[in-house]
Amino acid sequence: MAAAEAAQKIRVAMDQLRATGVRERPLVEVLDLSHQMADAMTAFFGSLDKSIIGEFRYLADFIQKARDEISGLQANDIKDTRLPGASVELDAVVRDTEKATETIMAEAEGLMAKEPTDLAAYKADVDAAMMRIFEACSFQDLTGQRVTKVISTLRHIEDRVTKFASALGVVDTAQEETPEDARKRELLLNGPAMNGPATTQDDIDALFA
Amino acid sequence: MAVDLSMPVLVVDDYQTMIRIIRNLLNQLGFKNIEEAKDGKQALEKLNAGKFGLVISDWNMEPMTGFELLQQVRASDKLKATPFIMVTAESKTENVIAAKKAGVNNYIVKPFNAETLKGKLKTVLGEF
Repeated sequence: MAAAEAAQKIRVAMDQLRATGVRERPLVEVLDLSHQMADAMTAFFGSLDKSIIGEFRYLADFIQKARDEISGLQANDIKDTRLPGASVELDAVVRDTEKATETIMAEAEGLMAKEPTDLAAYKADVDAAMMRIFEACSFQDLTGQRVTKVISTLRHIEDRVTKFASALGVVDTAQEETPEDARKRELLLNGPAMNGPATTQDDIDALFA
Repeated sequence: MAVDLSMPVLVVDDYQTMIRIIRNLLNQLGFKNIEEAKDGKQALEKLNAGKFGLVISDWNMEPMTGFELLQQVRASDKLKATPFIMVTAESKTENVIAAKKAGVNNYIVKPFNAETLKGKLKTVLGEF
């Protein structure tokens, strides 16, 4: 029975009771009307329950799915292990690179400052300095491995976040520009371009010609 | 007129390695009086305190960028005639045009070589 039909049936029964006066009605009729009202209410709440149960079931499924996806995101693993690990690796890359650069530049500056008065001694100094420069260049192997680990971490996070957003149908909302972003935009702080300069030195020279 | 190789040159960069590279290149070209600053703010203080014949500045620095430094230099009666070369990884055309409009004398995109720096110095300062 539809909810509207059940409500109408109750309303009619109530009107009948009011119009005639309950005390003057025979007990059987009052009981009959009460029975009709009970039936109508049972049908009404029954129809109401079915639609709400459907909604609750959908919500429960969605919440369970969200819980599964959040669990799959492994947010604690990312926060506690993967991101700090990547940060440590990048710090090491910066440190190793600086150390190697310092060694190479110091050797080059040392050679430039030397006077080649004794050619044999000068050649020995150059050879020794070159060997130290070669040794310093070995940092590239280690930094390459460290950067690969960081890339792996970023890809892992990207994969998890993508799955999470896709499963829950997450849509990005417009974000207000932060003061930091505004500063970068206003002062044209774009940073280095990928795969070489965005504008070549020749093109820049043409602008100044 | 020959370039005065003893004139003070201010090199501005937040990476000490880059300052060292430019300092070595300038030394090789004969410039001996080279000072350094790690950002635009420190550079402006040094420029206001002394007399420099050339500024070679990076763009991307905090708290004051090289672009802001250029604007401040060109807005100053005392400093506005100082030659200013931007040496930066900011290679978008909009950066180059903005710098030119702000009054930069020349623009070198990183990474660069000694010949490029030498060529720009000659363009800005004259033969040396």
